[in-house]
Amino acid sequence: MSLTETAQQIRRRDLRIPLGAILLVIALTAPFIGSRYVTHSLIIALIFMLPAHGLNLLVGYTGLLSLAQAAFFGIGAYTAGLLAVTYGTPFYVNVVAAGLAAGAIALPLGIPALRLRSTSFVMCTLGFVIIGQAIAKNWISVTRGDMGLSSIPKPHFALGPLSFTVSGTMGFYYLALAIGALATLAVWAIVRSPAGRNMIAIRENETLAESVGIPTWRYKLIVFMISAVFAGVGGSIYAHYLTVVSPLTFQMYYSTTMLIIVLGGGAGTISGVVFGSLLFVGLTEALRITPELRMIAYGLCLLALVFWFRQGFAPLINRFWNAIGGAK
Amino acid sequence: MFSTILEQIVNGIVTGSVYAIVAVGMTMIFGVLRAINFAHGEYYMLGTFGAWFSIDYLGLSYEASIVVGVLSTIVIAYVVGKLVMQRMVGAPAESGVLATLGIALVLQNTVILVFGGGYKFFADGYIEPVSILGFSLAQQRILILVVCLLVFVGLELMVTYSRMGKSMRAVSQNVDCCEVVGIDVPQVVLRTFILGAALAALSGVLTAPVNVSVYGGMGELITFKTLPIIIMGGLGNVRGTFFAAMILGVAESLVATYVGLQFRDTVGFATLILMLMWRPHGLFSTQARF
Repeated sequence: MSLTETAQQIRRRDLRIPLGAILLVIALTAPFIGSRYVTHSLIIALIFMLPAHGLNLLVGYTGLLSLAQAAFFGIGAYTAGLLAVTYGTPFYVNVVAAGLAAGAIALPLGIPALRLRSTSFVMCTLGFVIIGQAIAKNWISVTRGDMGLSSIPKPHFALGPLSFTVSGTMGFYYLALAIGALATLAVWAIVRSPAGRNMIAIRENETLAESVGIPTWRYKLIVFMISAVFAGVGGSIYAHYLTVVSPLTFQMYYSTTMLIIVLGGGAGTISGVVFGSLLFVGLTEALRITPELRMIAYGLCLLALVFWFRQGFAPLINRFWNAIGGAK
Repeated sequence: MFSTILEQIVNGIVTGSVYAIVAVGMTMIFGVLRAINFAHGEYYMLGTFGAWFSIDYLGLSYEASIVVGVLSTIVIAYVVGKLVMQRMVGAPAESGVLATLGIALVLQNTVILVFGGGYKFFADGYIEPVSILGFSLAQQRILILVVCLLVFVGLELMVTYSRMGKSMRAVSQNVDCCEVVGIDVPQVVLRTFILGAALAALSGVLTAPVNVSVYGGMGELITFKTLPIIIMGGLGNVRGTFFAAMILGVAESLVATYVGLQFRDTVGFATLILMLMWRPHGLFSTQARF
């Protein structure tokens, strides 16, 4: 019996590399296969993947449930928009500046907020979003209030004599894909490093982590800042893609969306976040579901996640991945 | 000058009464569930919509619409309570946050989907002004004050003397011991939740004639204002909630007059963050209850 079983296992091929190659080809040729609208949906999904990756470091790896991600997303969008409109700085400067600004603001916000636990921390981070929106609305001399910032230029690159502007949907798709891939790699590197393991230790048991010498406070603060950097970068790309920024960038709705991506895809897994952003943002955008129906679906998803599927799609993805890898 | 301040304070107290009726439900739910109900403002919205619907579509009087608004909210709260809130007994705090956020999304957007996202006009209620001690105050505002006082006296009596109030206090102290002595914890949770939702709905219906506009997203703002109140009052503390709501109402009213109307809604969250930093157990207790 065992012999035949072994033989069967040998016969099953490892399909992971071919499948990975197929996915890569699909990712690279997507704008040629799908319509313009599908490409647009993919861009939105890729942009939302960035703050979701950041949130995943916070929720999935360090175990801190935060709603502040939309605040940093908005800070990034406004930083990029203001720089581009007022000083005409190029795209890559804006992206870096937006990330740094969000990260820098996360420090003074994180120091008090991270002293709070569970529900209090959630309420406090929710407060950041509301106050961010109020500032964007009322600091009219800088943010132009409810009118927002408009005609933010499309990304423009100049390398010596070569210069080109990313204007079409297709060009933007590749830009978003490249940045999304870089962000995914960055998260992967963080999670695989000893620092990533320390984060998981904090998630599992903070007191124990502290007692074995992990500086938990510093870790939580730094992860909070890194997650803000991811959100800020995402916000800046969003601003350049839509070319407008309004106080509505600071919205609970965005925080909820990012939370759904992370928890639905599977908190604490990188593939889960990629899958989650494609499913929860890309697909709903592509199907042109009205915002109300989408939010009802998100609400039901949250309930289902809390009570039935605590790990989201992660176990499913894992099983599939192992199955095509030839394991039983 | 002085009379303007006094008038603003009176207005603030009326707003505070509205917040108090909503917040006391949330604080009691926290007491039995140890979870913040992020959907609490949605029951306020549901109550208002129920009343608006019964006036605009069914042609009922304002008095009848109060009953319809509160009863329809009770029915919805019963369903939500049975399906969701009872499952939250003993669940980690994060589950409570996520589940109630989910409920808020579903309730709010279902209402927008059914009735449309635009602003509706609530054209009923006792809006005639009356003059008391030199102020002119709309009858509706006096009604709100009176109802608020009645609600708090009633709740205080209920929590202290009735069987339901005693079991609520017991559950908020120790769930395991309640089960040992035979208190039906899920039942207490369900009842507390329905009571809280009904109070929120009542508050919504009472405020509608003053606020005039009715829209699907109105509950969110109320939830956000309830959070600082329940923290200030000390989570689970009925009497503290009353005073905290008054403080926030008056503060908002003064800020709106002397600093700028646009800053009114920020007061709550600034208060929330400051409270969480320095006095997470509230203004009125010396140590955290939970």
